[in-house]
Amino acid sequence: MLISVSLFLLSACSGGGDSSSSTPTAPAPSTPAPTTPSTPTPVPPLVPPPTETDISVAEGARFLRQASFGLADGDVEALQAIGYEAWIDAQITAPASSQLLHLVSLPEPENNFEGQSNRLEAFFLHALKNDDQLRQRMAFALSEIMVVSDDGILFNAPGGLASYYDMLSSFAFGNFRELMEAVTLHPAMGVYLSMLGNEKPDLARNIRPDENYARELLQLFTIGLVELNLDGTPRLDTNGQMIPTFNQSIVEGFAHVNTGWTFAGSPSFSNPRFNFVMPMQAFADFHDSGEKRLLNGVVLPAGQTPEQDLEDALDNIFQHSNIAPFVSRRLIQRFTSANPSPAYVERVATIFNDNGSGARGDLGAVVKAILLDQEARSASVGGEGGKLVEPLLRLVALWRAFDAAAADGRYWYPQPNIAFAQAPLRSPSVFNFFSPDYAPAGELSSLGLVSPEMQITNETTTASVNNFLSFSIYIRNSSATNLNERAIKINIAPYLILASDTDKLIERIAEKLLGGVISDELRAQAVTMINTIPQDQPAFRVTEAIHVIASSVEFALIE
Amino acid sequence: MMNRRKFLGMTGRSAATLGLANLMPRTLLGADNGFSDYKCLVNIFLFGGNDSFNLLAPTSDAEYNVYAASRQNLAIARSDLLTITPDNPDGASYGYHPAAGALQSLFESGDSALIANVGPLIEPVTKSQYLEGSVVLPPQLFSHNDQQAQWQSLKGTSSLATGWGGRVADLFTANTSGQLIALNTSTFGTNLFQAGAVSIPYTVSTTGANTYGAFDSDAALATERRAAFETYLDSSFENVHARALAAVHKRSLASADLVNQALALAPVLSTVFPPSFLGAQLNIIARLIAVRDQFQMCRQMFFAGAGGFDTHDDQNELQPGLLGDVADSIQAFQLAMLELGVNDKVVSFTQSDFGRTLTSNGDGTDHGWGGHQIVTGGPVLGRKIYGQMPILEIGGNDDATGGRIIPTTAADQYAATLAQWFGVESPDLGMIAPNIANFGAVNLGFL
Repeated sequence: MLISVSLFLLSACSGGGDSSSSTPTAPAPSTPAPTTPSTPTPVPPLVPPPTETDISVAEGARFLRQASFGLADGDVEALQAIGYEAWIDAQITAPASSQLLHLVSLPEPENNFEGQSNRLEAFFLHALKNDDQLRQRMAFALSEIMVVSDDGILFNAPGGLASYYDMLSSFAFGNFRELMEAVTLHPAMGVYLSMLGNEKPDLARNIRPDENYARELLQLFTIGLVELNLDGTPRLDTNGQMIPTFNQSIVEGFAHVNTGWTFAGSPSFSNPRFNFVMPMQAFADFHDSGEKRLLNGVVLPAGQTPEQDLEDALDNIFQHSNIAPFVSRRLIQRFTSANPSPAYVERVATIFNDNGSGARGDLGAVVKAILLDQEARSASVGGEGGKLVEPLLRLVALWRAFDAAAADGRYWYPQPNIAFAQAPLRSPSVFNFFSPDYAPAGELSSLGLVSPEMQITNETTTASVNNFLSFSIYIRNSSATNLNERAIKINIAPYLILASDTDKLIERIAEKLLGGVISDELRAQAVTMINTIPQDQPAFRVTEAIHVIASSVEFALIE
Repeated sequence: MMNRRKFLGMTGRSAATLGLANLMPRTLLGADNGFSDYKCLVNIFLFGGNDSFNLLAPTSDAEYNVYAASRQNLAIARSDLLTITPDNPDGASYGYHPAAGALQSLFESGDSALIANVGPLIEPVTKSQYLEGSVVLPPQLFSHNDQQAQWQSLKGTSSLATGWGGRVADLFTANTSGQLIALNTSTFGTNLFQAGAVSIPYTVSTTGANTYGAFDSDAALATERRAAFETYLDSSFENVHARALAAVHKRSLASADLVNQALALAPVLSTVFPPSFLGAQLNIIARLIAVRDQFQMCRQMFFAGAGGFDTHDDQNELQPGLLGDVADSIQAFQLAMLELGVNDKVVSFTQSDFGRTLTSNGDGTDHGWGGHQIVTGGPVLGRKIYGQMPILEIGGNDDATGGRIIPTTAADQYAATLAQWFGVESPDLGMIAPNIANFGAVNLGFL
């Protein structure tokens, strides 16, 4: 069944998010006046006002680089005022941004959802301008674990992908078991991993259930391939060998569970009617009625409804002892550390198993445990700690730090994958842009360490990433002229007044991008470059300072 | 600006720093005189698991009927199959998928061979041994990333972190020390196949090496900016991830100008490549081969890739485009090699995660095991099928279960044959193909 049109209902946003209270996402209607170099706006004070917490600028910036899309003006001060935990709590209760609402807010003809461009715009708009930063970071992280992609058949279903992303946002701090069900029944996933339209066996035609979703749900989304200890290390048998979590017959058991589902509202199973927003609907006549062998020796009885089989099967996965360490490690890798210590994984996994109130799978508690853990907060992570910032998130952090905007108020950048080798919901396969276990040959590999983002870091992409950053700094800034109204420009006006003072300029730009933590070598590089530029070119001096720091290795690293 | 001597010196230092001398193969420590000829291997990886039992299907009565009964609505009509006439007939007859006419003509002209039912194995496996669990199997059969890793690394049950292409490059470090770019180049980004313990692969885009715009000669302060950045990159970064990123920057900067200046001298090819990503990759590979002397290359391996082969759905609609692209791209590459006069020096070969189930899930197939692969180029002893064609019967002797075909030729044998042509000698074969000792033939004879 080929999906060639993107027809879906908007009346019912899947995922249970309270869309009525969502932050309006329509762009500002007015065109901001370009600020000229002759009238620089006042520079915010270098020394923050007294705060109620003892969080330093550097500490606060580090936390926000882990937990948000970057350091917008005032972010660090707001965090200093309330502290880490209160900040997380506020984020958990903040209303969710909605990509679907953004799509419908657009004027004709753009609100007809043709192409993926406006869905990408919603991602940038929310990351740059909206307050639900941690929720959107969590949705982005989940989108790299429970992967669907517009690279393929879903290219024609941008609304379905926006709905899927909204669903991830809705469940970002919810319960993982409910997230599993929402992901499983979302029609975008149904199409992507072909559970949608999966029919019961027909021996006469040598047809047996499609195993695609069954396998990847187990292997990639929930428990992984080998038995894990609570600390994420593999359990070994008496011969020292790793123990597989499932075999082919268990994949087949889940494949049989996953039969009989298609688009909600379809007249019949064999006559599907596109609906990319409502959860899929079961047709019992096309569901396998036999027994199904699942994990840990569980066998579902014959004759259950498709809905009951699915509930039981998802419960079966959710109760597997792997789920806490498996999900915890993946989420830690998206926020704070590529190589969390076993103790760190165990502390987070323990919270996954019980949030302190007896609830299993509380993702809000999990992300709080990840961000507040001593390993994420201690002053030194050592030479093997931390992680690389995902390439696309370096651009977002640059834009957020310098309040990037286009004259027309839009955030039009539909193909970030060309320069950054990644874009939201645009992975080349269900295996994401990079593997959680990727280790480049050489030092990392020989130390037994992983660095997932290095899988999309090669001689080609280091240049293309730097080139887009250069373009976004030198060409598209508030002092540039003759830019089209859609060009997203960083605002360098507040910094022009500092342009003549090399040291102060570097200090301020380093504070904006790095929380003020800058190596002597990077500072020396910045001094050399800025001093090469005459005093009468303030915008050039400012952009040079930004370029040196934004293209540095330390801007690409979170410790 | 980093020059070549500095680049090579850096590479040497890092190897020594890692204490790898003890692990180095003997030829690396010896004083081999290098190679006097040029040879090139091109790995075309079909990501997702190519359903090769529809790429080549039987056309003789008995075998076609078995195939059609298994494949049902996914079977190719017999009259549509493009018949081949192997020089080594096995009693049955076969034909290529109707979209793969280019592979049929390459086969018939003797430029291409088919390796039948090859897949990851640690030791030979019969159906009864599989069902009894009495032999060691590659871990996580039927899983995409695990089986991709098996094809690319031949790691078996070990924790080997290198690819067999990377190990060949490690082995040839001394013999190829005059080469100005890495032995291994990828047009498909990072891959395990080319990861070495010592050797470091290089990546290009389909237009050549990406350069840093801020350092381009027409940018203001380009020279100063590049120098300052390179000084910064030489910092002793305390964090291991930072060191890894800085090293890629350095390699990118060190090679880009050299590569692009050489490419500017490449002859304009009259061969037209398909307008696909795979076609574009093989096009830039052909151009890099054309200017190999600029890099003083004597041994070179490329890694190209194509995606979309995981046809769980809509297989009948998707397969013509997928197989047509592979066939047309391989043919264009072969024509380009003829045009460049290097047809006797270059071999392309396919790999893929796994073959697919003979059974259908309604409109597609699921993850299998063994499958056919294609080898093309002047050195190939073509117009032959190597290995044994499987019985395509559900529940038959070659069916592990559910229409997943047990390989009868090992990926190690396939790799060992390619590696021997490339210059790897018998004592080193076990390092390249770690499971090769478990199989009778260390050379399948197609080269």
